[in-house]
Amino acid sequence: MSAAAGNAVSILREQLRELIGAQTPAAQGIEVGNLSPLTAGNTRNAWSFDASWDEGGTRQMVGCVMLRKAEAGQLETPLIPEFEVIRALAGTGVPIPRALWIDPEGKWVERPAFILERVAGTSDFPALLRPEGAEISRGVAEHLVEVAARLHTVDWRARGLDFLPATSVQTAAAQQVDYWEALFRKHRLEPHPMIVGAFIWLKEHQPVADRITIVHGDFRYGNLLYEGKRINALLDWEMVHLGDPVEDLTWAYRALWSPASVMSLEEFVERYSKLSGIAVHPDNLLFYRLFNEMKHTIISLTGAKSFHDGRTRNIVIADRASTVTSYLIQFLDWLPELSMRTAK
Amino acid sequence: MIKPTIGELLSGVAASLRERVLPEIPAGTTRRQIQAAIGIIRRVALVWDKTGPYLYADNEDIAQTLERMLPVLERVAAEEGNERIRVVHTKSRQVLERSTQSGQPYPSAEVLGTRNLELQEVLADMQEALHESPAVKSVDRNELKATLYALFHRMLTRELEITTPARRP
Repeated sequence: MSAAAGNAVSILREQLRELIGAQTPAAQGIEVGNLSPLTAGNTRNAWSFDASWDEGGTRQMVGCVMLRKAEAGQLETPLIPEFEVIRALAGTGVPIPRALWIDPEGKWVERPAFILERVAGTSDFPALLRPEGAEISRGVAEHLVEVAARLHTVDWRARGLDFLPATSVQTAAAQQVDYWEALFRKHRLEPHPMIVGAFIWLKEHQPVADRITIVHGDFRYGNLLYEGKRINALLDWEMVHLGDPVEDLTWAYRALWSPASVMSLEEFVERYSKLSGIAVHPDNLLFYRLFNEMKHTIISLTGAKSFHDGRTRNIVIADRASTVTSYLIQFLDWLPELSMRTAK
Repeated sequence: MIKPTIGELLSGVAASLRERVLPEIPAGTTRRQIQAAIGIIRRVALVWDKTGPYLYADNEDIAQTLERMLPVLERVAAEEGNERIRVVHTKSRQVLERSTQSGQPYPSAEVLGTRNLELQEVLADMQEALHESPAVKSVDRNELKATLYALFHRMLTRELEITTPARRP
C-alpha cells in the first residue's frame, strides 16, 4: 500500500470511529480495525472493517461493511430509504444484513454512506451459471423462491415502510414506466426511437397488480450472498420500492443472470405462488419481462451518460450504451404483436 | 499511411495490456478498470472502419422507409384532419428533402451521424404523434407500427455489428 493510500485509510478509520461514537452514545473505547477496500459495485464503494467498543460493561465486536456512494454512476438513489428498508426488514425472515449506522450527507466519511453487519458468503454468480455449479445453483434457486415469497408477503405497513412512495394495484406499472421514461429522457444521448416506441407500448399495456408489495428492484443472482445452497443475505436495495412483485420475479430471469438452466421460470412462478399465495398473471409476467429490458437499458444509458459528461471516470460503465442493443432485440423478440424472425 | 491500420494498432495495444500489464495488477478495482479498458479498445479495434458504412446504410434504410410511410401519414392527416400527424408528415418530408447523403460521394462519419440523429428524431416524433392520436384508424396505425417495428429490427441488427462485433459468427 502506498503512503498516500495508507494515510487515506488512517483518516477513514478515524472518521468511522467518530461516526460510530456519534450514533452510539453509550459506546466507550471505540476501535476500528482491519479496514480494507472491497471490490465495489458501480454506484457504491465497499469497505470492510471490524468495530469494537465497550457498552454496558461488555466489549461489543462486530464485523462491518460500509457502502459509500461513488462518484456519479449508473443510478443515483438516496441512501436513507434503502437503509430504513433494510432496518425495517430485520426479523421478517428475509435474509438481510443488520443495519448499523448511516451517514446520509457524508458528514463523517465525506460522501453519503451506511454501514451494515458483514455477512458470510459469496456473491459469485458466474459460478452458479457454470455447468459444474448446477447442483448448488438449483439449491440457491429453490431458496431464492422462498426469499421472494417471504419478501413479497411482508406486511410493509406494519413494518413502517409506508414512507416509500405510495402506489396502487392500478397505478404500480404506470408509476414505474413513468419513472424510467423520465430517466430516459434526461439521460439519452440520442433520440433512440426504438426506446420511445417501447415506452409507448408499455404505457398502452399496463397490467393491474395482484397486490402491492415491497419490490427489491434488483432481485437476482449477483445480489445475494450464498454459502452452499443457502442464501445468507439479499444485497443492493437501492432500487427498492412498493409495486407489483412480478417485477422482481422477471428481473431475476433476465438473460444475463437467469437461473433458468436449473429452474424454469414456470417452475419458479408455480413454487412462488404456492408459497406466497400471490397470483402471477401471464399478462403481468409478459409486461414486466418487457419492462425490465427497458429498465436495464435505461440504467446502462444513464451510466454511459455519466461517463460521457465526465461525472464519473469509472471505465467499467463507459461503454454501457453498447450493451443495450441486445436488450432492445430481446424486447422486440418478446413483443406479442411481432416476431422478429418474420420481420422484413 | 495505411499500415498499421487503426484497428491493428488498437488490437496490438489491447493484446499488450492483456499480456504484459494485466498480470502485474492484483485483483481489485484497478484491475477491473484495466479489464474494462481492454474490452473497449478491442471493440473499437474491430469496428473503427465500419462506423461510416453502418451509418450510411442506416440512413438509407430509414429514409427509404419514411418515403414509404409518407402516403399513409398524408392520408391520415387529410382524411381525419389530424393536425399532429400533419405536422409530423410535413417535418418528415422536409427532413427527407434536405438529405445531404446523395450529394456527397464520401460523407464523413460526423456528417452521417448528424443525419442519423435527424432521422431518428423523425421516427421518435412520429410514434409520439400516433400515441397522442387515438382517433387514427387502427388499420393505418397497424400499418405504420408494423413498418416501424420491421425497421427497428433492421436497425438493431445493423447496430449489433457495431456494438458486439465479437459475437458475430
